[in-house]
Amino acid sequence: MFDSKVVSMIVQGIGETLYMTCVSTVFGYLLGLPVGVLCAVTDRDGIHPNRVVYRTLDFMINILRSVPFLILLILLIPFTRFVVGKSYGPTGAIVPLVISAAPFIARMVESSLKEVDHGVIEAAQAMGAGNGTIIRRVLLPEARVSLIVGVTIVFGTVLGYSAMAGIVGGGGLGDIAIRYGYYRYQTDIMMVTVFLLVLLTQLFQLAGTGFAAKLDRRHS
Amino acid sequence: MSYIIEVKDLFKTFQTKEASVDALKNISLRIEEGDVYGIIGMSGAGKSTLVRCLNFLERPTSGTVTVEGRDLSSLSDAELRKLRGSIGMIFQSFNLLMQSTVISNVMFPLEIAGMKKSAARQKAKELLRTVDLSDKELAYPAQLSGGQRQRVAIARALATDPKILLCDEATSALDPQTTQSILQLLRRINREMGVTIVVITHQMSVVREICSNVAIVEAGNLVESGRVVDIFSHPRSAAAKRLIIEGKDPDEWQVPQEERPAPAKTGFLRELRGSRCIRIVFSTNSAYEPVIANMILRFGAPVNILKADTKDVGGTARGEMILGLPEGRELQQEMIAYLRGRKLDVEEIELNGGEVDR
Repeated sequence: MFDSKVVSMIVQGIGETLYMTCVSTVFGYLLGLPVGVLCAVTDRDGIHPNRVVYRTLDFMINILRSVPFLILLILLIPFTRFVVGKSYGPTGAIVPLVISAAPFIARMVESSLKEVDHGVIEAAQAMGAGNGTIIRRVLLPEARVSLIVGVTIVFGTVLGYSAMAGIVGGGGLGDIAIRYGYYRYQTDIMMVTVFLLVLLTQLFQLAGTGFAAKLDRRHS
Repeated sequence: MSYIIEVKDLFKTFQTKEASVDALKNISLRIEEGDVYGIIGMSGAGKSTLVRCLNFLERPTSGTVTVEGRDLSSLSDAELRKLRGSIGMIFQSFNLLMQSTVISNVMFPLEIAGMKKSAARQKAKELLRTVDLSDKELAYPAQLSGGQRQRVAIARALATDPKILLCDEATSALDPQTTQSILQLLRRINREMGVTIVVITHQMSVVREICSNVAIVEAGNLVESGRVVDIFSHPRSAAAKRLIIEGKDPDEWQVPQEERPAPAKTGFLRELRGSRCIRIVFSTNSAYEPVIANMILRFGAPVNILKADTKDVGGTARGEMILGLPEGRELQQEMIAYLRGRKLDVEEIELNGGEVDR
């Protein structure tokens, strides 16, 4: 029903969407994971409570999280141009995606680490473990299942956001959906892209939860 | 005598928004090297806080804790971590790494101490042999029973060859049979490796079984301490009497009278209330002579045996009996003198209806 031009455009869209989502998730974790760890560590019940650090990070995360992605996308245009040289296309979308995903990731990581049983942390302290060792050997490994579930959720969210990047010519499936479905009333193309977005989200969700369950050793 | 742990004038106050709570008030105690030292009290009495002060997981508000001659408050963070590495600790909830195998759990403290992985693995295998879990090396904690998990925790606590092992309610989550096997393991560790063991518990049976000295903590105060055998024979404080004469574990202390099921023999015991009762304690090797029977023959007056029991105290069996003496102040005095003359520990006790039977 579609000619080869449309098909190759959709294939390219899938590639761009995956590229944006994966790269943004990776860079998002590079920023968000350390911040999340720092939050969990410096909170009142953390292993190194520090009110000032925690409050500052908490405040910054809240601010960034409360700016709608669409607005962030536009606000960040000069910054994006400065970082990657252009403000459009998949690569241009990655910058706002990372900025938007990082605080979300930090929150997810923080809450995962806070699930770790305090007794196990105390046992490590009783063995003479320092905070670095506790983070590397206790907090992160013990929370790994929750962290992986978190990655899955983040991936789904970033995938959704990447579709919005179509507004500024970000490329990917969302871009196609907006250009053909919204601007040109080609509902069939829009339906296909939406279907593909749903399919991608489902696949990653399935893979993520499956992987997390396989890694979990808390059941006999 | 050398003391491996000395606690002096220890206070610990927790500050909350509304109020400050004195968890520990003026605690002083000394633990000899090679001892098994019990700290008993009910939940919330402060005993868990006390044991955490021994390795500075909790910093005391004031007072000193000296371990192997070093004042813990004088140590830097790094020195403190190093010292903690040489004190083993086990917990009620085992606190194992649930996402790591049994052997990695045991290797963990060795790796913290900077041991090479291969050497650590070797050592961990030996330790798992000691606690009888060689076949579970690659299992995960979730696949083990409570007793097995505590054995892993013990192996982990012993990994760095500590001189001291702190046990925080280590058997409270276990059934009686498993408790027995864990206590036996602890006793073996104490005897064969010479590890000084500090046992936090709310069960008198645990203290009787393995401790040679005990401190009784009530509402943050140390109310009595000394040799278990002495306290068993002559409990002085109200708390010790409740523990030993009434046989009540600390958590039963505050249960209101009416919530407890009425003992079957209450009526019988009520009649005896007000009459004079004594408690005698004897080691079983003195039981060859039928002391009570001889006494009855000699005075020609009956005594009421209200309770008779044998308990394992610090590895030797001790008999305990509660007797209701016949009327007549003079006769009573003579009977007590007679029993004391037979080298029995005699203690006069107050009876409140139903409290001797369990």
